[in-house]
Amino acid sequence: MIRLSGRSRSALIIGLQGIRARKLRTLLSMISLFLGVLAVVVVQAGAEIADRALLANVELTEGKDGTQMIFLPPDPKAVHVALDTLKGSRDAVAMVGTHAIIGEPGVTPINPGAQRFDRPGGGPVFTGPGGPDVLCYPSGECIKAPDAGQDAPPPGQAIEVALNAMTGDIRQFRPYRPIAGQWLDFTGPPSMAPRVPAEMRIDGAIANATPRIIGVVDDGSDQPTAYVRTDELLNWLPETVVGSGANSGGVQVLTAPAATETQQILRARLVAAGMSASDFHIETINSKARIATELALIRWIFLGMAGLVLLIGVAGILNVGLATVGERIEEFALRRAVGTPRSLLAAIVLAETLLTGLFTAAAAIGLGVAAVQVAGGILSAREPSLQNLQFPWQAGVAGVVAGLVAGLLGGFIPALRAARIPIATIMRA
Amino acid sequence: MTPLIELTGITKTLRGQGRARSILAGVDLTVHSGESVAILGRSGSGKSTLLSLIGLFDRPDGGRYLLHDRDITRLPERRAAALRSAEFGFVFQRFFLLKHLTAAQNVAMALVNGQGWLPRRKRKARALAALDQVGIAHLAKHKPPRLSGGEQQRVAIARALVREPKLLLADEPTGALDTETGNLVIDVLQAATERGCGLILVTHDGDHASRMGHILRLSDGVLHPVEEEAVA
Repeated sequence: MIRLSGRSRSALIIGLQGIRARKLRTLLSMISLFLGVLAVVVVQAGAEIADRALLANVELTEGKDGTQMIFLPPDPKAVHVALDTLKGSRDAVAMVGTHAIIGEPGVTPINPGAQRFDRPGGGPVFTGPGGPDVLCYPSGECIKAPDAGQDAPPPGQAIEVALNAMTGDIRQFRPYRPIAGQWLDFTGPPSMAPRVPAEMRIDGAIANATPRIIGVVDDGSDQPTAYVRTDELLNWLPETVVGSGANSGGVQVLTAPAATETQQILRARLVAAGMSASDFHIETINSKARIATELALIRWIFLGMAGLVLLIGVAGILNVGLATVGERIEEFALRRAVGTPRSLLAAIVLAETLLTGLFTAAAAIGLGVAAVQVAGGILSAREPSLQNLQFPWQAGVAGVVAGLVAGLLGGFIPALRAARIPIATIMRA
Repeated sequence: MTPLIELTGITKTLRGQGRARSILAGVDLTVHSGESVAILGRSGSGKSTLLSLIGLFDRPDGGRYLLHDRDITRLPERRAAALRSAEFGFVFQRFFLLKHLTAAQNVAMALVNGQGWLPRRKRKARALAALDQVGIAHLAKHKPPRLSGGEQQRVAIARALVREPKLLLADEPTGALDTETGNLVIDVLQAATERGCGLILVTHDGDHASRMGHILRLSDGVLHPVEEEAVA
């Protein structure tokens, strides 16, 4: 427990007595300060909530910060070298993108182009350069959309998914957090095991396999996407087809930040296979840091604006403080006469304004907590990231700091004035 | 016996509106414990100025001021505040009670001055004891607006006594009271001197002055002894 010195306790006691004696003035000071402190609390709370909402899933969609992404052209040689080099590697993985239709054979899937299931009316995910008759996949590949009237197969019970084949263990490489989605429960009876009684069709495959779903996760992407292991995919899809221009947008290699040796070996083998260094492009994922920086900038801009509102409140406290000291000249002179040092007189005035700032902060934080509860209840249905919305403690700290700073700034000049009241005032009264 | 205070050749000049006016021109004064001294004088003769110098509200321009044989003529403000708290009690013509506090809290106010710390229970006990000394312990919970002038002045005296000062400085304490109430206040102050406390009373009232052990008149910036008969 913090033990205050005698002077601090004296300042607090007399400060509280002063506040109780001038309730209306204290209330007016609090009103003038309230909007400023509330603005700080709201900005800080909003920024923290936005941080959580935007940064929570960014690793799922963009990858972990620091991961190096090497983009290789859609060349069978590059695919072979990448898959061969990274076989069994624990610090790097190659990812090849394609697409697959799962369901009844010979039917048009319910979501051509692997579009979102909840998008009504169908249509391509991206409209290609040829207009709405062209389907473009996120991988960059565009195909001619089947003509609905002529040669298109009849609609049926099938879905189209983007298919990402990865070397290594998918779960190890991309540690999806259970909070973002739920792994399927395989502990139940076998009859309940999630199997798909359907075939999976991939362009260029030598056979249609029956897929088995081992897990479901929210990867943050709008598009239905399936992840498979490359060695399993190569059982029925020739390596020359995987990652080639006819089937995908190329190979993407993801390496851990420390995997420099793996990168060097891969680079050397690609060059040895006849590729130029300019054929592959390297990017480092720093989306989390980038978004955090952008959010921090926005936060500081809004905090600056809130600070201006707070300054108006400080002016209010200053005004009330000066008027109060003017009224209490005799009291302060008397206190000096009974032995109160100047520094304690200043501390008394500061204690009053600091307590006023703290009370205001408590009121603003209380309102903030209530607002977050109400907003969470209303918005969580529309925005999943706002579920279980909690008032961020950082906003509470910011509110307290804002209240104290405002109290300090607003009370500083009145405190100096109180400390300078000549003691002889009381003799001339 | 060592005097409580000893002033020798104290001078003070007040400066205002470009004019300097000598108020005290060599005051000599000695007060022992338990002694009472009345100071008479015309308005503007410098009685209050002298009291403010003795109470360490201000510093003299010249001379020497000893407290318990210790020179305190030029004391830094921090130490002066500590001495005001420990050695002196002040009673003024106006009572200067804080309206939002009870009588007991007004008395205890002198104990919450940053010069040492007393727990609330002890503060309350000492405030009640001081109020008891001046005979109004039963009014401890009353706020000043509900007290008569005499009762308010007694609360002010209790506030001056609560730290058990060595010297009481009273600046026209009966000036705002009727004769009967004024006499009661002087009784209370005299009772304090019987407990060993020194008293300097600044007054215009000859009757009150004549009840003090020594009577002095401040005139032309110097203190002169006055015979009791001359006062009457």
